[in-house]
Amino acid sequence: MSIIQISHLYHRFADGTQALDDVTLTFNEGEFTVIAGANGSGKTTLLRHINGLLFSESGTVAVCGKSVKGDPFAARQQVGMVFQDADSQIVGETVYDDVAFGPENLSLERQQINQRVNHALAAVDLSGFENKMPHHLSGGEKRRLAIAGVLAMAPRVLMMDEPFSNLDYPATCRVLEYIRNLHKNGHTIIITTHDLEKVIAHAQRLVIMVQGSVVEDGIPADVIDGIERYGIRPPCSVQLGQGIRPWVN
Amino acid sequence: MGELTAIGFRPGQSLLHRLDPRTKQALLMGLSVAGLWENLTFLVLCTVVMMLCVNDAGLHIRRLILEIRYFFFFLCLVFGVRAITFTGGWTPTLRADVAGEALTVCWRLLLVVIMGVLLMATTRTADIRAALVWYLKPIPLVDEKMAATMLGLVVRFLPVILFQGAEIADAQRARGIERRKNPLIRLMRFTIPLFRRVFISADELAAAMQARCYNEQRTFPELSFTWRDGLAIGVGILTSSTVLLP
Repeated sequence: MSIIQISHLYHRFADGTQALDDVTLTFNEGEFTVIAGANGSGKTTLLRHINGLLFSESGTVAVCGKSVKGDPFAARQQVGMVFQDADSQIVGETVYDDVAFGPENLSLERQQINQRVNHALAAVDLSGFENKMPHHLSGGEKRRLAIAGVLAMAPRVLMMDEPFSNLDYPATCRVLEYIRNLHKNGHTIIITTHDLEKVIAHAQRLVIMVQGSVVEDGIPADVIDGIERYGIRPPCSVQLGQGIRPWVN
Repeated sequence: MGELTAIGFRPGQSLLHRLDPRTKQALLMGLSVAGLWENLTFLVLCTVVMMLCVNDAGLHIRRLILEIRYFFFFLCLVFGVRAITFTGGWTPTLRADVAGEALTVCWRLLLVVIMGVLLMATTRTADIRAALVWYLKPIPLVDEKMAATMLGLVVRFLPVILFQGAEIADAQRARGIERRKNPLIRLMRFTIPLFRRVFISADELAAAMQARCYNEQRTFPELSFTWRDGLAIGVGILTSSTVLLP
């Protein structure tokens, strides 16, 4: 069942750059999709359209059958977005406050908010951090906090913009593990990255974007060959002729 | 990055931690106003109460003094302006009676700052915000929820801005900014990238808040006024009434 439908989407920035050029995509419920592309290929702009942070000049974006332009609030409830820079996403003065920010915006009862906060923090292994100040957390912990902040809104789709950027090896492994768990628990996952190495083995679908257009879309094993021509580094295992292999065991 | 930690919220179970934030804000305002009388009995009593509260809240006096060290420069300035007079030319003179008055003013200001630190250290910013909404609600033409959100964001982003400032300063020192003797040029080189980063961060923050459905009809923390609050207000009124003593 499709959950996000994008049809003939165009977006041009104020400086004249064509950020999205006739993008048509459909995302199915429970699917794990990786959108890859070089810097400036339009990945983040696409996510912002799905989340109702940008609106199209022409074309449509619909989440659960509802136009994002018509009801961005509903789209944001269904589609949670984790930004590339966790620091700018963290709004609360404490870990608890930050995770509670989304549910508070949904005007939920305090008891329900507390339940959601506890559940979201447990899901990313941050239980016990409630009273810590976010700017005292490590990079990996901040990224997990950003994920918890989105999870507390109980979205059906989780979009992550470059979730592994600026993370060290152990932090990357943990974030990857949480993403896999979220997918196993039924979330639809959309990840944008220019570094396929870490995540591609777990994805069911790979979309390649070049200069605002979708140039490839399919099963990773089918799309991965010759991916260098789009400015994307293929995973080491592919370069060694071993096909797509998990980055960590 | 850790510059503001001691005056940020510290979880605990002290009496101040358990008070309603509205009570704490009312006490802060009431005692600050009572301090305007500059009554010595009140100041001594208030200082004793504050020290007990600081101890009860688990704050360390040394750490507290360290955190507000820059405020002491301001107090020195206030003391100097009020106590030092120039009589018969350019010779500064310190008169004992005026110095006493200046010391009282500085003492009062210091107490207000300590009360503010105690409020910050024992109250979540979300609760301070909720209390602010409660106080501002009856005032016409004031959007109390917007004011509360702005307060929360200032508290949240002050450390980030300080961190960004320190990073820019380090990066410029690494490229020899100290060789520039003109302070105006140094200031310009520092402020322009800092403002650019702050504006970019503000833009990203607005997007992040929108993405998480920010709106003004939010759930605020529940506030409850208990017997402890009644007791604290009683103690506050008794302390304040000492300003009437000679």
